[in-house]
Amino acid sequence: MEEDLDNILDDWFIESIKIYKDLHVYQLENPTQVLEWTSGRNVCVAGYTSSSKNEILELHLPLKLLADKNKGLCAERDFKVVHGGFADGPVRRLRHIPGTRCAVTNDGHSSSLQVWDLGGDDSDVIRRTGSVEGGRTGSVRGSRIAARPSSQPQVLHGAQSDDVRLTEITSGRTVYKLEVDSSDALSSLQFVTDSIVVAGCCKGSILVADIRSPAAPQVCCPPASSAESVLWWTDASASSSRLIRLSSCGQAVVSELRMLGGGAVCQAQLDIQMRGSDSEDVVVSWAPALDDCIAVSGFSGAVQIYNTSLWKSDLQETTPLFQHRGHMVSSQQPDGVLTTAHAWHPERPRTLLSAASDGSVHVWDWVNQSAAESGSADPPT
Amino acid sequence: MPEIKVTPLGAGQDVGRSCILVSIGGKNIMLDCGMHMGYNDDRRFPDFSYITQNGRLTEFLDCVIISHFHLDHCGALPYMSEMVGYDGPIYMTHPTKAICPILLEDFRKITVDKKGETNFFTSQMIKDCMKKVIPLNLHQTVQVDDELEIKAYYAGHVLGAAMVHIKVGSESVVYTGDYNMTPDRHLGAAWIDKCRPDILISESTYATTIRDSKRCRERDFLKKVHESIERGGKVLIPVFALGRAQELCILLETFWERMNLKAPIYFSTGLTEKANHYYKLFITWTNQKIRKTFVQRNMFEFKHIKAFDRSYADNPGPMVVFATPGMLHAGQSLQIFKKWAGNEKNMVIMPGYCVQGTIGHKILNGQRKLEMEGRATLDVKLQVEYMSFSAHADAKGIMQLIRMAEPRNMLLVHGEAVKMEFLKGKIEQEFSINCYMPANGETTTVTTNPSVPVDISLNLLKREMALGGPLPDPKKPRTMHGTLIMKENSLKLVSSEQALKELGLNEHQLRFTCRVQLQDPHSDPDTLHRIYTHLKSVLKGYTIQHLPDGTVMVESIVIKVSSSAEDPNTKVLLLSWSYQDEDLGSFLSNLLKKGLPSGLC
Repeated sequence: MEEDLDNILDDWFIESIKIYKDLHVYQLENPTQVLEWTSGRNVCVAGYTSSSKNEILELHLPLKLLADKNKGLCAERDFKVVHGGFADGPVRRLRHIPGTRCAVTNDGHSSSLQVWDLGGDDSDVIRRTGSVEGGRTGSVRGSRIAARPSSQPQVLHGAQSDDVRLTEITSGRTVYKLEVDSSDALSSLQFVTDSIVVAGCCKGSILVADIRSPAAPQVCCPPASSAESVLWWTDASASSSRLIRLSSCGQAVVSELRMLGGGAVCQAQLDIQMRGSDSEDVVVSWAPALDDCIAVSGFSGAVQIYNTSLWKSDLQETTPLFQHRGHMVSSQQPDGVLTTAHAWHPERPRTLLSAASDGSVHVWDWVNQSAAESGSADPPT
Repeated sequence: MPEIKVTPLGAGQDVGRSCILVSIGGKNIMLDCGMHMGYNDDRRFPDFSYITQNGRLTEFLDCVIISHFHLDHCGALPYMSEMVGYDGPIYMTHPTKAICPILLEDFRKITVDKKGETNFFTSQMIKDCMKKVIPLNLHQTVQVDDELEIKAYYAGHVLGAAMVHIKVGSESVVYTGDYNMTPDRHLGAAWIDKCRPDILISESTYATTIRDSKRCRERDFLKKVHESIERGGKVLIPVFALGRAQELCILLETFWERMNLKAPIYFSTGLTEKANHYYKLFITWTNQKIRKTFVQRNMFEFKHIKAFDRSYADNPGPMVVFATPGMLHAGQSLQIFKKWAGNEKNMVIMPGYCVQGTIGHKILNGQRKLEMEGRATLDVKLQVEYMSFSAHADAKGIMQLIRMAEPRNMLLVHGEAVKMEFLKGKIEQEFSINCYMPANGETTTVTTNPSVPVDISLNLLKREMALGGPLPDPKKPRTMHGTLIMKENSLKLVSSEQALKELGLNEHQLRFTCRVQLQDPHSDPDTLHRIYTHLKSVLKGYTIQHLPDGTVMVESIVIKVSSSAEDPNTKVLLLSWSYQDEDLGSFLSNLLKKGLPSGLC
């Protein structure tokens, strides 16, 4: 049995020589659902076990990955734990406040947030400095969190659409509240600019609001094909002004943020199947440095990359540009492992981090095989 | 209170050399004696002045233990034993004893011949030093002297690496050296039993890392080799004869087979002889499972790997060559390097650390122009790749080891306290033990609470149990009377009578007598009865008897009443008690001096 696993590993690893430029495989003590950049070189992970003490770690990327010139002279392939702390209870979401050493977390089943100091040079301990109260008590899904890009430490949070507020972290004062009548569970919350926010609902509708204005947010209905039991996840890209919505049946719809009412720009039926009822782990995200590309994780043990520029206006099946199968292949239970999170590197076009339910964390820089083979160019970066 | 003292020798924050002093139960032990590879002067040696300002170390140390053959753990050993002076025992495992002198000699040659240094140990010193070595087997307890015993455990990491358990009386310390907790391909993972040492000493260097998998390092190696071969380049891999070479060969062989590659792979002949020697050492060192793998595939029966002849270096086309020595400082690997360095299609892969002064060290620091003998310069155009394959524990590994050994205290050396607060907190929280982090040169004193085991005689135990009362609670101390006999190395607790018997002594009894005067108009027997009633009401829970012979007994205390001859109302109470009832006796005499209460009947 163990030998078979080793063989599969061998095959995938040998294949990996061609399909990845860089590949790093790590094993954390406990799985993480959090992969949050705190700088171009540091990323936070956190445990979500139900036991009372979960670790929050800030990791420095391996030097070898970051080295550009003289990469060959650097042998350092390990993560360095630069800061660490303990949370009482699970950490399901973590957001770094840009320009600060502050982070905000949520446990996934209440609406309150914990505020942390990630620590500086003089200490390696991540300390809790306070909390931010949410709107209601006892919400099941927990609050989504978005950090305001400007340097004022403010955080947008809420679990339901009628409960989204922007809170000033230091004073706890509510600066803005989303004025919406209906109460829909949220699957995402983002700032696309310093003042425009996008809230994605699990049912598929989108709310866009300008926090400088008291006016009600613009509402965009779920895609026409949506049904009662279907769940939706969203990501908005600030650079391309595009929005993508992905359903639990694998339908992906791309829209223009500025013209949400104008219908989809393109769509596709992705090569995935919904697994179980645990929808907490699905993530869809636009690549920050690779035009038109998205990454999808949480449906299986793989992370898939799609090129949306190949999609049409009518719903057709599409295949991924690339699939990272590393978590499935190296897990002890290949069928049981699920990806829990992924994150694109903010600058390196094809570098991603991914995490899975068995505690594995991978860092990979993939090669665009189809471009290499057909001789055509990559999507422009 | 008994205590154990631990001092990492060295100065300030510098890492890179291991040498730790432990004082336990009156014994002084030196753990490792490493050289700091970054310095060229005396700072590379550990600071022995901590032990003694001048003179030899023999009388100050009971033994020296070396964990494995890496120079940052044994590099200063010949200097310490032959130049500073130490004639006592030096312990290390068999493979370490076999490999150490080879590495030390190589190192000496580079430092003296290449760099022209003078204050360094000689070849003869290395030999003399190794004569003092006593080899250790795994899991075998060795008595260094009557009181000090040591035991080696498997550490993984490199061939022959050991963790060591040191015991004096009921105090003990475990030193890990370098180890790894995830099994390496051929070395396995470290293992130790639940020995519960007072202190577990480990390096903090890797404690805050999360290691990339071994397979990814191997992947990178294969990728680089493959890329060079594909473009027609030649790959040179300088290796130390007794190290990773065999493992890398097996890797390439499997890869070549899988990918159906045709480019030749060569292994220089100097390696083959030494490799067989290594193979024998290795086979006796590893466990059953790994031994079986090696028996199934003998190292040097490769399909794709052939013996090298130096004329092959000029053959056109791609090839891979493993050659010694490992740091490109001399011999065949340097010769080949000189031939191939000028072609950018070629590659050199350095699989390990290179000592200062070697070509390996220079090219790993980015030098692209090298000065060779006769003032000739060599342009380094080929690709230089530095890869580290050594297996180390990381943050998770340390926690696993603590779980295995269950130490009472944890001690991490070579770390900056400020950068380790989180790990310290994590250890303290998960295991409820103290975690110490001394700076170099700083002594940590750990108070121990050794239990002293004492045999108790069955009679004494039965007697104590027969006294009745609640069942013994191991958490509550219980006072008992007995005699502690120390005979040879054992301790025995027996009843006093048995002790006297064994010693052939008679027991002497000590009895106190006291007279108390009391005014009481009753008759003597009545007074006695009143005393009896009074005592019964005051001393509840005690055995009080009114005996027919005209006495009252409280436990073993006897009270008699008689009247004064002059005045029948003045009663004289005679109290008598034995030494054992001293407390009760004096209490009674004080009580009765106060007189009897009037309401008694």
